[in-house]
Amino acid sequence: MSERLRVKALEKRFGDIVALEGVDLVVPAGQMVGFLGPNGAGKSTTMRSILGLLSVDAGSILWDGDPIGSDARRHIGYMPQERGLYQRMKVHEHVAYFGRLAGLDADIAASRADAWVERVGLSERRDALIQELSVGNQQRVQLAVSLVHEPSLLVLDEPFAGLDPVAVATMSEVMTEQVASGVAVVFSSHQLDLVQDLTNHVTIIAAGNTRATGTVAELRNSSPHRILAVQWQGDAPDWVPPGGAALPGRAGAFTVPADSDASMLIAMAAAAGTVASVSYEPPGLDDIFLELVG
Amino acid sequence: MSGRSQILEVARREVTVRARTKAFQVITALLLLIAIAIPVAIAVWPESDDLEEVDLGIVGADVDVDAIEEQLDALAVDRFDFSVVQLASDEVDAALIDDTVDVVVEPGPVLAWKDEVDPDLGFLVDSLLRQNSVIERGVEAGLAPEEVAGLLSPVEIGERFVEEPDEDVAVASALAFVSLMTAFAVPQVFGNLAMMSVVEEKASGVVEVLLSHIRPRTLLGGKILGIGFLAVCQVAIVLLGTLAALLLTADVDLPDSAWSFLPIFAVSVLGGLGIYLTLFALLGSLISRQEDAAQVMVPVFVPLMGGYFAGQIAAFGDADNLVSRILTFVPLTTPLLLPVRVARDAIAPWEIVVSLVLLLVAIVVLVRVAGRLYEFTLLHKGTRIGWGTAVKAMLRPDSVR
Ligand SMILES: Nc1ncnc2c1ncn2[C@@H]1O[C@H](COP(=O)(O)OP(=O)(O)OP(=O)(O)O)[C@@H](O)[C@H]1O
Ligand SMILES: [Mg+2]
Repeated sequence: MSERLRVKALEKRFGDIVALEGVDLVVPAGQMVGFLGPNGAGKSTTMRSILGLLSVDAGSILWDGDPIGSDARRHIGYMPQERGLYQRMKVHEHVAYFGRLAGLDADIAASRADAWVERVGLSERRDALIQELSVGNQQRVQLAVSLVHEPSLLVLDEPFAGLDPVAVATMSEVMTEQVASGVAVVFSSHQLDLVQDLTNHVTIIAAGNTRATGTVAELRNSSPHRILAVQWQGDAPDWVPPGGAALPGRAGAFTVPADSDASMLIAMAAAAGTVASVSYEPPGLDDIFLELVG
Repeated sequence: MSGRSQILEVARREVTVRARTKAFQVITALLLLIAIAIPVAIAVWPESDDLEEVDLGIVGADVDVDAIEEQLDALAVDRFDFSVVQLASDEVDAALIDDTVDVVVEPGPVLAWKDEVDPDLGFLVDSLLRQNSVIERGVEAGLAPEEVAGLLSPVEIGERFVEEPDEDVAVASALAFVSLMTAFAVPQVFGNLAMMSVVEEKASGVVEVLLSHIRPRTLLGGKILGIGFLAVCQVAIVLLGTLAALLLTADVDLPDSAWSFLPIFAVSVLGGLGIYLTLFALLGSLISRQEDAAQVMVPVFVPLMGGYFAGQIAAFGDADNLVSRILTFVPLTTPLLLPVRVARDAIAPWEIVVSLVLLLVAIVVLVRVAGRLYEFTLLHKGTRIGWGTAVKAMLRPDSVR
């Protein structure tokens, strides 16, 4: 799989604020990458740098192996976190306008706009003004705008924020279709369950640094912790595994070092009380996330 | 897609989206209505208003009231409108006292007035009486009445002025004033539109999507082109309306200066739009919210107001005064003063050429500087950007981008 986009050691400061100090991100063609991180981590700043909306202080952005330029950027579809549409344009007109700006001939832009307006489920509102649409429907238009020129990289900044379940499903479907047709997709999100449903590949950043990157399974396995969860019959005994700590908010669950001997821990648990069920596994994505950024 | 076709796309969007707003349509229609109504009103009113109505009494048995009325109206041309009544000799005093008549011709002939003579009116009635007695005497001397009338037919007399007639000064001042108002109002109205259009894009995320496709200066260029085109259309519609109304209702003699005036006026409107739309758009890019518009607009109002006051003096007073002459060469005020001084025919050809060249140079420089500033200011979020920060950012070369 070819590497469509590679972001290397990106640095960016705004005056005294260090927004990025070492962000790495790889998005191969035909793959979807979840770009995760807490508020203020630098996700939007990274994305805006990819689009050339910001000048960065150091680092590089490569497109198919070469430094990215305005020609390559024409093949990016972008959905900014702060949504922006012309309130007084009509839905179809709006999508077609951005198609033409991206270089499509007028008639091709018009027919593509038709197709995308239908695909995002807005055919009935084709000639409505943007300002007459609900926020969620405006977001569908925003998606159509980012796709009308058939980009080979999609950069979506929190595409699911503010969407109802039906719109989330449409958005997910479209993203999956795009990946299947060879498009590289990177999206940011705070909804980790949604991310796991959509893709195996994630990059996690915090405080302007890439903390981890890989498949969800890899990240889980590379964690220095494991989760030991024990269900007792009757009252839980006052027991904590050696080197472990109780997980707040989950009764009977403990974090233990990854190099613990699982069978020994289970034997110790059984000695402390009557065990109904027991599990020993790597932490889930949300735990990993907290471990990495906390 | 080339930068040029993107500029046209941006321009076309500005035109279609703005032209279909109710506000734009209503304002254009209203302006057109006013532009047509004024010449029509001028044409309809003055004729009837200028004529002074006069009631003339005549004492005598067989008086042809209609014939005399006709004769008097012919003599009075466009000064008086006569209605003639026949009076008995004992009615004269009462009629004069209660103002039912202004003057009475009594046998003799004697002109009876109320308490004072109206010299113009007296002269006219006097002329009529003399004319009629000449005809009578001619007939007595054996001439046919038509022959006498022929002898009395008016002589054509020409006119020559050693100074410009007042009427031409009035027309020139009117032209100058209309051009001044246009040059003052149009850049403000459409400059505001340009500014709001920039703020609209900047306040929402739309600018980010735009700039992922096109360069800031392309966006700026398209916006100025589109809104400028709208402005030119509106001015043209209104002017053509006025012209048509004038030609259809009144026969206006345009002074000779009008022919050099029209092209200069057109160029000034274009130049004024070029320079002020760019400035307003740039100001719009310094702010992120419409509420901040008023405070950044101040620097643009200074030259506009200055040019307007100087233009007023040049339009109605001394068109050649020193301040007007200087401001004609300052690109920000050229569009206001140049057409005024041309309309007043108070400018040397070299002044026209030099001021237009300076204006053109200023626009080219401004558009280039604005294009660069725009790259920085457009994506800056949050607080208002000071000019200093903006200029510094412009001069600092970008690293990776
Ligand atoms: N234009 C700007 N001027 C000054 N500081 C900025 C600017 N843009 C971003 N920052 C700062 O850079 C840091 C990273 O912000 P960024 O928006 O990239 O975070 P994020 O990961 O997208 O957060 P969120 O999840 O809240 O969207 C923050 O500290 C932010 O305050
Ligand atoms: Mg963000």
